Amino acid sequence: MPTVAVLAFPGTNCEYESARACRSVGLDAEIVRWNQPARLRTADAFLIAGGFSFEDRVRAGAIAAKEAVLDEVAAAADAGKPVLGICNGAQVLLESGLVPGLTAGHPIEMALDANEHGYLCRWCHVKTHHPESCLFTTRFTEGEVWPLPLAHAEGRFTTRDPLTLERALDTGQGVLRYVTPDGGDEPGYPYNPNGTLADLAGLRNPAGNVLALMPHPERAAWLWQLPAYLPGDWGGRRRDVSIRTEMNTAGPGRKIFLSLADYLGVEN
Amino acid sequence: MTDYKARLTFDGLSDDEVRGLLKGLGIQLTPGEARQLVELLGREPTLSEAHLFNIMWSEHCSYKSSRKLLGRHLPTDGPNVLLGPAEDAGIVRFCEHEGVEYGVVFAHESHNHPSQVVPYEGAATGVGGIVRDVYCMGAEVFAVLDPLRLGDPTGPRGTRSAEVAAGVVDGIGGYGNPLGVPNLGGDAYFSQRFDDNCLVNVVALGLVRADGIIHSRVPAEAAREPYVYVLVGKATDDSGFGGAAFASVDLDEEEENRGAVQVPDPFLSRVLTEANKAAWAWLRRRGAAFGMKDLGAGGIACATSEMAADVGMGADVHLDRVPVSIDGLPPFVVACSETQERYMYAVPARLAEDFCAIFNRDWELGQTAVGAAATVIGEIVAEDRYRLLYRGEETEEVPVCSVSTRAITHGVYHERPRRAGSTRIHTERKRPDAGWGEILRGMLGSPGGASRYPIFKRYDSEVRGLTVLRPGEADAGVVAPLPGCPTGVAVSVDGNPRYGDIDPYLGAFFAVYEAARNVACVGARPAAITDCLNYGNPEQADIFWQFAEGLRGIGDACRALGLIEDPEAALPVISGNVSFYNQSAKGVAVPPSPIIACVGIVDDVRRAVPAYLTEPGLELLFVGRRGPELGGSLYYESVYGESAGRLPDLEADRWRRELGAVVEFISAGHAVACHDISDGGLALALTEMTLGTYLSTGVGLRANLHDLHAGSAAALLFNETPAYLLAVPKGSGGEAVRFLRARGLEAARIGSAVEERRLVIRYGEHYLINESLDELRELWLHGLDGVFGV
Repeated sequence: MPTVAVLAFPGTNCEYESARACRSVGLDAEIVRWNQPARLRTADAFLIAGGFSFEDRVRAGAIAAKEAVLDEVAAAADAGKPVLGICNGAQVLLESGLVPGLTAGHPIEMALDANEHGYLCRWCHVKTHHPESCLFTTRFTEGEVWPLPLAHAEGRFTTRDPLTLERALDTGQGVLRYVTPDGGDEPGYPYNPNGTLADLAGLRNPAGNVLALMPHPERAAWLWQLPAYLPGDWGGRRRDVSIRTEMNTAGPGRKIFLSLADYLGVEN
Repeated sequence: MTDYKARLTFDGLSDDEVRGLLKGLGIQLTPGEARQLVELLGREPTLSEAHLFNIMWSEHCSYKSSRKLLGRHLPTDGPNVLLGPAEDAGIVRFCEHEGVEYGVVFAHESHNHPSQVVPYEGAATGVGGIVRDVYCMGAEVFAVLDPLRLGDPTGPRGTRSAEVAAGVVDGIGGYGNPLGVPNLGGDAYFSQRFDDNCLVNVVALGLVRADGIIHSRVPAEAAREPYVYVLVGKATDDSGFGGAAFASVDLDEEEENRGAVQVPDPFLSRVLTEANKAAWAWLRRRGAAFGMKDLGAGGIACATSEMAADVGMGADVHLDRVPVSIDGLPPFVVACSETQERYMYAVPARLAEDFCAIFNRDWELGQTAVGAAATVIGEIVAEDRYRLLYRGEETEEVPVCSVSTRAITHGVYHERPRRAGSTRIHTERKRPDAGWGEILRGMLGSPGGASRYPIFKRYDSEVRGLTVLRPGEADAGVVAPLPGCPTGVAVSVDGNPRYGDIDPYLGAFFAVYEAARNVACVGARPAAITDCLNYGNPEQADIFWQFAEGLRGIGDACRALGLIEDPEAALPVISGNVSFYNQSAKGVAVPPSPIIACVGIVDDVRRAVPAYLTEPGLELLFVGRRGPELGGSLYYESVYGESAGRLPDLEADRWRRELGAVVEFISAGHAVACHDISDGGLALALTEMTLGTYLSTGVGLRANLHDLHAGSAAALLFNETPAYLLAVPKGSGGEAVRFLRARGLEAARIGSAVEERRLVIRYGEHYLINESLDELRELWLHGLDGVFGV
C-alpha cells in the first residue's frame, strides 16, 4: 500500500485528521516528526499538515522551511513525488520555494501575508480551474464549485513582483480560487476571506505535483463534517443525512485525497 | 526581607501588627491564620513557609469558605460517573466502541481577575490552565468553550469594556487555535455590572479510555520501589507568583498584582501534548504505574505536596534542580510561582533518565522554548514528611520548608456568616411607546441580542475534523470525538446574570435547567454538569448568602431534572470551581453568576439538529407554556434599562417531562431543527430560527400564536418561561403534536417557514410583528461590529 508521510513540526496540529483523510482512500499514512528525516525516504507522497509550526516565528512557515526535513521533501518534489501542503503546510511550501516554483533552485517567489481582517474561521467556496493540471485535483471537473472550511490569520497569497503572479496564473497554476457560494468570480470580502491576490486558495507548482492549499479539505472529507447551513447542493446533501447515511459518506474535500490515490494507483 | 529562611515571629504582636507585618511581605494570611500556622508547625514559620501557606490557604486553593456547603448541596455521584470532583477534572461515561469503554473528562475554571487586568494574556492562560487539567487525566482534549460576562461596550465606560472584550476574545483564540483544540461555543452577556470585573470562564472537554485514566497522585507502587518527581515543561520564572492569592483578593489591589498574571505559550503546550502521549505509551509498555498533575495554583509546591498527601506519603523537593529562566529567584518563588505549561510526574526512579529523554531528545523541548525540559527534581518518601530543599540544606534542621505532608494539604476553614438579601421583585411598568417590531429590532442590534459570529469567527471550531455542530449552529455544540463512531458529545454553557441578580436561588436553578435544555435541543441526553461559581466577597454576609442560595439552587435543579435513563439518579456535578471577590474597586459585587456547563450524550450525530430553519415549508411547533412574568427578561433590559421583576415560576416536574420527550422526539429522527426559548422570549427565539447564519440567508416565517396564553402581548412575545420550538418536515406537524401530547406535553402548531422573506407573527387577526427578514439580518449580523471588528 502506498504510504503518505504526514509531516509534523513542533506546533503542527492537524496531523491526525490529515492522516485519517489519507487512510479513508486506501492509502497508508504515517505521522513523521520533523527530526526524523530518514523516515521520509520510503514515502510515496508527502502531506505537510496545518498548525502553527515553530510558533509562526519570523513568518508563518518560514522556520519549518529551513529544517533539514524540507530538503528531503524538495528532493522528492523534484523527482515528481506528490507533495500537499494544507494551511500552515501551504505556508511552508511557499517559504521553501516549492510553490510557485517558477525558477530552478527553489528561490522564495511568493509568500502568504496577514489577512486583511485578522484571523478568520469560516466556510468558504472555491472553484476548480484546470483540474487535470494538478495531480491533487483530477477528480474535480472544470469550474466545479465546492465548500470547505478555512481557519488562518496569514492566507493572503502575495508577491513583490507582479510578473511572478502573472506567469503562474498564465500557466494555470491557480487551480483553486475563492468564489461566492453560487460560483461568482471576484467575490470580495468575506468570500475572499483574506484579500488574497487573484482570489487564490490553492496554487500548484508548474509540474502539478505540489499543491499549496490554504483551506482544509481534511475537514470536509466526510459529509457529516459539513454544516447544514451551506447553500447549494452540498448543503442539501448534508441536510438529507439520516441514520441510513453511512458515516463514511464522502464530503467534497475527499476528492483531493481520491485524486492522490488515483495517482498512486490505489483504486477507490 | 529577602532571607527566605528567616523566621517570622508573631508572639507579642497585636492582630493589627501581624496584619501589617504580613502585608509588608505581600502575604494575605489573616492574623488568625498566621497564629494557626505557628500552632500547626509547632514553631515559628520561615518566610518561605509563610508564602507557601499563603497560597495553600488562599480561597482559590483551599475553598476555605465554600467546601462544606459544596459537599452539602451538590450531588456528585451517579450511575454514569467514572470520577467525581476529587482530582483535576471529573469523568462521566461516554460509550463503548470496538470493545473499549470511553469517558468524557471535563473541567471548568475562571480567569476573571487576570482577564480584567491584561485581557489577552489573562484569557489565554485561562484556556491553557483548563486544558492541562483535562490532559493530565490521560485525555485527548477535543473541545473548549468560554462563557463570558463582559462590560457594556455601549455604556459610560464602553471604550475600556470594548477593549477588554476584544482582548479576551483574541486571547481565547490566541491559545486554543495554536493548541489545536476546537472551540465549540460559549455565551456572552454584556452589562455595566461587569465593567470593573469581567468574568472569563473556560470549559474543556476530553476523551479518555476508561482503562487509561491517569490519576493526580503518586501511585501506590511508590511504597515498594523508589519513585521520583519529574517536572516537565517551561522553565520556571516568577510569573503568576501569588496568582491563587491574587484571585482571592479584591481587584482594587490590581496594580500591585500585575506580576500575578501568567504568560501563555500555546505552542509549547501543543508540543507537550504530543510528547506526553508518547511518554504515557512508553511507560505503559513497561508496565510502570505513574501519576501526573497539572501545575496550576501554588505551582511546584502545591502539586508535589498534594500528589504525595493523597496516598499518605511525603517528598523531598530540590528547588535548586528546577530549571529557571530568571537567576536569583528566591526559593519560595521557585516553589510557588505559576509559570504556565508545566506538569509534574511521579515515575519509578529506575526509568527516570529514559523518561526524560522522550521530552528532551525526541521532542527537543529545549528547542521549543528556552530552558524547557523534563528534569528530576525530587524523591517521594514513604513517610508523612514534606520538605523543600535548596542548595544542600538536607543537613539543616529547618530548610526552606519542612512540615508534615498532611499539614500542608489540610486547608483552613472559615464559617462565614450569611444574611438574606432582598430578592428584587416587582416594579409597575408603563407599556412602552415603541411597537413590538421596533423593540425586536432594538434587541437584535444590541450587544445582548446580536449574532455571536464576530466572536466565534476568531476561534478555530473545525480543527481535529470532528465537529458536527459548531458555534452559532445550534443550542449546543456537538462533536463526534471517536473517529468512525456515531456517538457524539453535546455541550452548552449557561447562566443568566439578570436572573441571579433578582433571585440567587432561582438564578442558579434556571442556569442548570437552561444548560440541560440546550443540550436536549440537539437531541442529547444530559449526562453531567460542572459549575463555575462567580460571586463577590464571601466575607460579606449578604454575598455569602447569595453563594449559599446558588448552591442550593444548583443542587435542587440537579435532583429535580435527574437522568433520563435512570429516574432515581440526580444529574451529577462532576467538577467545578469557585471564584470569589468578583467586585469593583468600590466594592460592588458582580451579579451572582453561577455558570453551568452541561455535557450530554448524542446517540447518533446523524440525528443531531441545528437551531435554524433551512427551507420553506417546514412546520413549527411550540412545546411548553407561556407565563405572564417578565422579570429578568431581555425585554425589560432593552426597554427599561433594567430588569427587576418576577422571574418565571419553577415547574420542575413539567420541565423534566418536556426535556425527556423532546430528546426522544429528536433522537428518533423526527425533527429538523430545535431551539429553546430563553433570553428574548418566544419572539427572539422565532427570529433567531429564521435569520440563518453568516453564510446562509435564512428563511421567512409566518406564525400565529392564538393557541398560546400569557396574559399580555408583551408576555406572549417576551416572557422567558423555558419552552421549546421544534421544526418538522412539511406535513408531519399533526403527527408530531400527537407524539408530544401522548407524553403529557402541551404542544401546538404555530406556523411554517415561507418563501417570502418576512418575519410575520400574529395573534389571531392581529399583527404583532411584521418585519423584513433582510433588515433584521443586517441589524443582527452587525450588532457587535463596533466591539470585535468586521
